[in-house]
Formats: sequence, C-alpha cells, structure tokens
Amino acid sequence: MNIVTVGIADMKVSNDPSEVLVTHSLGSCIGVAVYDPVVRAGGLLHFMLPESELDHGKAKAKPLMFADTGIPLLFKSCYKLGAVKSRMIVKVAGGSQIMDQSSVFNIGKRNYAALRKMFWRNNVLIDAEDVGGTVNRTMRLSIATGELSLKVSGKGNRIL
Amino acid sequence: MRNIEAIIRSVEKLPPFPVAVQRAMEILDDTDASVSELISVIKYDQAITANVLKLCNSAYYGLRRKVHSLRDGLVLLGNDELKDIILAGTVVEFFQQENKGYELAMGELWRHAIATAIISKIISDNVLDSENHSVFTAALLHDIGKVVLGSFVEQYFEQMFSLVFEKECSFTEAETEILGINHAEVGGKIAELWLFPEDIVQAIRLHHDPGKASDDDHVTPIVYLANIITLSMGIGVGCYGLSCRGRQEIMKRYRLRAKDLERMMVTFYDKYHAIQDIFKLN
Repeated sequence: MNIVTVGIADMKVSNDPSEVLVTHSLGSCIGVAVYDPVVRAGGLLHFMLPESELDHGKAKAKPLMFADTGIPLLFKSCYKLGAVKSRMIVKVAGGSQIMDQSSVFNIGKRNYAALRKMFWRNNVLIDAEDVGGTVNRTMRLSIATGELSLKVSGKGNRIL
Repeated sequence: MRNIEAIIRSVEKLPPFPVAVQRAMEILDDTDASVSELISVIKYDQAITANVLKLCNSAYYGLRRKVHSLRDGLVLLGNDELKDIILAGTVVEFFQQENKGYELAMGELWRHAIATAIISKIISDNVLDSENHSVFTAALLHDIGKVVLGSFVEQYFEQMFSLVFEKECSFTEAETEILGINHAEVGGKIAELWLFPEDIVQAIRLHHDPGKASDDDHVTPIVYLANIITLSMGIGVGCYGLSCRGRQEIMKRYRLRAKDLERMMVTFYDKYHAIQDIFKLN
C-alpha cells in the first residue's frame, strides 16, 4: 500500500490499486473524493477557499486553492483516467468552522456553499458527506476498492 | 483543585528559558547591538546556533547569500528578524514533541506555532500602521501551555469531549471546567516564568479571550486572529478542532470581513512552501 498525501490546495488522482490517497487535517477546507468503480480510478481534492474571484491571478496559478476552479480540475483529471461522470461516486468532508453566532468567521460554510453551487450547476450528486461542526477531519481513499475512511477528531474512524 | 496544583508543579518543572538567549534578545533590542557581545553570549549553545543558521538560510527569508555565522545573520537580516529567529531556534525543542492529549503527532504543534507566528505578521501588516515586534513572539509561544497541559487533557479526554460535543463548550472552556485552568492561562504562567515582557505574557494568556485585553493592546487580538486562521487552515489542529469562540468584536475593531481573512490565507499560502524547512527544524 502506497500512501499518497494530498496537501492544502492540492489534488491527486490515480488508477494504481496499490495507492491510498490521504488528506490530513481538514479544518474549514473541504476534501472532495471521487471514484469510478468500473475503471477503478479516483481522485482527492483538498481546496481551501470558496470563490476564485477573490484573486483571479492566484486562481490561475493555483486553481486547486478554490472550490470553483479546483472541482472542475478534479473531475477532468479523473476523466483522463477513463472515469465517467455518471458512474462516479462523490464524497465530501470538512467545512468546519469556529464557534461563531455572527458568521463573520464562516469560511467553512462558504466553502460548502460554493461546492454545492458547483455540483448543482453540473448535476453532480453527493453520495455521502460529513461536513460542518468544529471538528478536524482526515480522509483516506483506497484506489483498489473506492472505500473512503474518515477520521474525525474526538470521534474516531468510520467509513463514509 | 488537585489538578491545578499538579499542573503548576509541571510548569515549574519545565526547563528554564536559557539565560543566554534572553540576554541575546535584550542585546538585539538595542539598535546599536554589538555583534561581538551577541556572539559571546550565544556561541556556546551549539544546538541553538545551528538552528539559527538553518533558519537564516530558510527559503522564507529568501537571502541570496548564505548565512555562515551569527554575524552574517545580523548584517543580512537585521535585529528584529534575528531576534525572531533566535527565539524560534530556542523554543522549537519544546514544541516538536508528540502531544498525545491534544492528538498532535510529532512536529504538529511546532507547525502550528510557526504558521501562527507568520500569519500574525501578515495580519499586523494589514491592520497596524507600524510593526509591533511582540506579535511574532507571542504568536510563536501562544500554545506553549499545551506542552504542559497535554498529559492532563489525556487523562480527562472523554469528559472534555462530552462538554465540547454535548454542551457546546469551546475546548478552552472545557479545560477550565474539568482541569480548573486552561492552556492559555498555563502558557501565560510559563511565559512569566521565562521572564517574557508583560505584553507577551498577556497575549498568550488571553489568546482565546481577547475581549479582556486593554484597548491599546494590539498583540492579543492579532494573536487571537492568527490562531483562528491557522486552525481554519487545519495546521496543527489535533483533537482541539476548531472548537474555539468567534469574537466578532475583534473583526469589527480592525474593520475586517471574512474575505479579508481569506486574502490573508492566500498570502500565507504563498509562503507555505518557503517555510517547509522551518517546519522540519528540530
């Protein structure tokens, strides 16, 4: 088993069954895992912020930083490995935020809203998700099986 | 109450902050710092000197010339930067260890400390007219209390989490509730014992409760915000998660909106690769 780490504003795609894609410590960032069980290919994206309009120059140089530029890149990279959109299983985790009644610190919620907007526009359904709250999450996607395991701080591991 | 006494005893058992380093930082507070005096106080601590040179040569500082000595470091980086570097090179050993109570693997608390310190500089550049040099130091040390409190948190882990998940307490409030003292207060005590100036002690103590800081204190609110950004980015978060209180009044005070925090995250991300070698320091 080869562990392939996905950093912040980063993405990995693979069709190598020996690989497990891992992204650690999602705070307000969101991890998007996609997997096509027929060709056994998948990918994991760890985006940081909702909208590329914040900084177009940055979005061009580092599209994986934003939901609206990173998500299309994740899907397109999986298509290159033979994945087909209609077969792809989509799982999402992250989008936590600090405890805030006033919503000035709601980066997590804004990240999730941006993701939903992208998926709605592109007819993508989320198969499973674990988002929000104040927890810290780690996602692991097995390329051999498509299994996505999730570690949530203070709550342990589970399969998503 | 027995816990508090045990915690205070653990604080007192921490190794003292090296006198030579405290002296070196005083020398650097003087703009006419004497290089030879600086070298004479610090040269015998080889571990610190080695760390200082590694830090000076880190991609973060982007020097074209390689720094071979403290003298080079002072000339090329100046007093303030060298002071930050000497501090970082000294305290790294406290932060690098694994912290089971907070579920922080080896190196994670150090990454959190460095990231918060660098983000605090980004915030200062955005909201203050002139540089406040205590900000970096306070941000670097803000979670030093976790080094001591970790083993106590580990013992009461389940009780703390039931407060966080069921009663919607912040993690810091759960520490106070269960242990009688929180990591920020413990950190303040450590900084006091290490003879750091009062503004730094205060910022460490109040970094989750910046509303209690005085009106002319910019260090505490900036460290508070820097910590929030670092936690949101998931750097050195551990089991603490993001369960700390949002203090809207701090955003108002500096006329900041969510998008401003996002821009600061982008600015930090630009430096992220350049600080990887600092993360690896030991």
